[in-house]
Amino acid sequence: MTFSPDRPTMIEFRDVHKYYGDYHALRGINGTIRAGEFFSLLGPSGCGKTTLLRTIAGFEGIDNGAVLIDGKDMAKVPANARPTNMVFQSYAIFPHMSVAENVGFGLRRDPRSRTEKAAAVEEALEMVGLKGYGARAAHALSGGQRQRVALARALILKPKVLLLDEPLSALDKKMREHMQVELIKLQRQVGITFILVTHDQEEALVMSDRIAVMFEGQIAQLADPETLYRRPNGRKVADFIGTMNFIPCQILSETGGRIEVEAKGLGRVMLDEDQVPPARGEGEPVVGLRPETLTMLYPGQEPQERAVAGRIDEVIYFGDMTYYDVFIGGTDVEVRLSMRNVPGRPVLDVGTEVQLAWSPSALVLFR
Amino acid sequence: MNRAPGLKTYAVIYLLFLYGPILILPLFAFNDASIVAFPLAGFTTKWFAEMWADPNLWKALKNSLIIALSTATLSTVLGIFAARSSVRYKWPGKPVVMGFIMLPLVLPEMIVAMSLLIVLLGIGINLSIFTVIMGHVLMCTPFAVAILTSAFQSLDRSLEEAALDLGESAASTFRLIILPLVMPGILSSFLITFTISIDEFIVANFLGSGQPILSVYIFGQFRFPAKVPSMLALGTILVGVSVVLLAIAEYFRRRGIARTGGKDTGGFL
Ligand SMILES: Nc1ncnc2c1ncn2[C@@H]1O[C@H](COP(=O)(O)OP(=O)(O)O)[C@@H](O)[C@H]1O
Ligand SMILES: [Mg+2]
Repeated sequence: MTFSPDRPTMIEFRDVHKYYGDYHALRGINGTIRAGEFFSLLGPSGCGKTTLLRTIAGFEGIDNGAVLIDGKDMAKVPANARPTNMVFQSYAIFPHMSVAENVGFGLRRDPRSRTEKAAAVEEALEMVGLKGYGARAAHALSGGQRQRVALARALILKPKVLLLDEPLSALDKKMREHMQVELIKLQRQVGITFILVTHDQEEALVMSDRIAVMFEGQIAQLADPETLYRRPNGRKVADFIGTMNFIPCQILSETGGRIEVEAKGLGRVMLDEDQVPPARGEGEPVVGLRPETLTMLYPGQEPQERAVAGRIDEVIYFGDMTYYDVFIGGTDVEVRLSMRNVPGRPVLDVGTEVQLAWSPSALVLFR
Repeated sequence: MNRAPGLKTYAVIYLLFLYGPILILPLFAFNDASIVAFPLAGFTTKWFAEMWADPNLWKALKNSLIIALSTATLSTVLGIFAARSSVRYKWPGKPVVMGFIMLPLVLPEMIVAMSLLIVLLGIGINLSIFTVIMGHVLMCTPFAVAILTSAFQSLDRSLEEAALDLGESAASTFRLIILPLVMPGILSSFLITFTISIDEFIVANFLGSGQPILSVYIFGQFRFPAKVPSMLALGTILVGVSVVLLAIAEYFRRRGIARTGGKDTGGFL
């Protein structure tokens, strides 16, 4: 993450609301996206990511609030006059044109000479790894190639902001992972603000400087990947990003932001302010614990902080790692923990009694 | 492979019944006898010469071509507007309006022709080939709308947005992206409406005010038995021209589909 937080604001949402008929698709979006940032809109299907992206592009009007690009209110600026370009989910390659005609489409109103434009097209194609493909028919390309054409077509105009709507979702896994890396490199190279819509949390974590997690037309949390992962501000975010163990707990005392809880199976823990996001009224309080913050101890090995005894209930072997479900001894409640084993260790059998080391600072309280 | 011999026989009989009579046409057009009956009498081209020499035929043909070309152009243009608007935009009363546009498809032609005649005479418009064109446009527009609606529907909406996004106006987007991509549909619509118009009889007869129009002319000639063979000669030429036209249209349609990498979903209807 080469991102520095003191960059100027590129996009600002001010209480953006959007209705489709009676349906309230965007419910008060606030937040800023900084210049040169790789930003992701992450959330389950139907939460309004595409809608929000389209309000930036100018394809969707808004019913309340304001969208500002580079300090300018976009309310009266039509899509074809905005300093943004989009890579569509379907790629929207013009099927009746060649690759070069597609890529050069945005240069039609450019006063440069024909040869200069051709050179710009060739340069853009080279940037996305399609050098020499200009004369091909666009409809004859593979999915990955179409996507590159769409990228080149959008980037050739040197927009202030590049909008990408689930650009990788149509690709197979290998290609997707490859393109993730390519996109990151490309973004560093051109320095343009990228805004990526995705429902794939892994993709968002890998690629983004910052992420806005959306549910039901609202931004639940806007933060860098590490903060989102380590300190999700609610159960929903915690659940959506990665996997998390939720352990029922009781709140014992609250003193100046610090909270002491009694977690089932783990015992008494004092939680710091940053481990206690604002209360959301999401039901009984629980503490969250990421599986990979747990370590299985060898017999005789001493834990660094705390340890809890348990019994392996389920083993799921992935090769590079193994998932275990472990029962830890709550007196009246059985708690399941899933955790990743350290690579290179022998796989343990179901029923094995084990000791799990855990760290209080890895806990987050949801209430 | 002979799992359904019944169906196969049915298909053969069906095709024979459909195309057999058309094959009779050239047979008797080249037959050296003024009576259309077997046995054949010998080869001649005199019926073609007779037909060719009739000035009324040329007048009728000219009128018919004017009518059919105007009808095809007008109803296809109207069809483009209606189809585009109904596929892409929301407006109040759309189902009702689209319903009324499509209604002539199921109205008996005779009723349409009669009511048009009464209205036109009532408001004092003289009958001419223009009134025939009006009637034909009314009849043909629903076909154009039906064909073009499916063409516009198969267009990916984000193509338009991509063009807008890349700086084009709504008008230039229509010209550069939408029009070329629906062109096969436009060709189909033009061809179908042209075909419907050129052999339409009822409206042409009611609203044509005795102007020579091909279908009316042919019908009239059939009253004179001596004229029948030369009408068969004309029919032979018309069949030939239709086949050539169809082949050309199909060629362009396939080329259009191949160029855009689309899927061929069958003929132009
Ligand atoms: N043009 C539209 N008309 C009506 N409802 C829409 C339209 N576009 C999106 N929606 C609705 O708005 C919600 C958010 O859609 P979208 O932004 O596409 O979600 P996402 O991209 O997060 O999957 C969905 O419930 C969707 O059904
Ligand atoms: Mg979407």
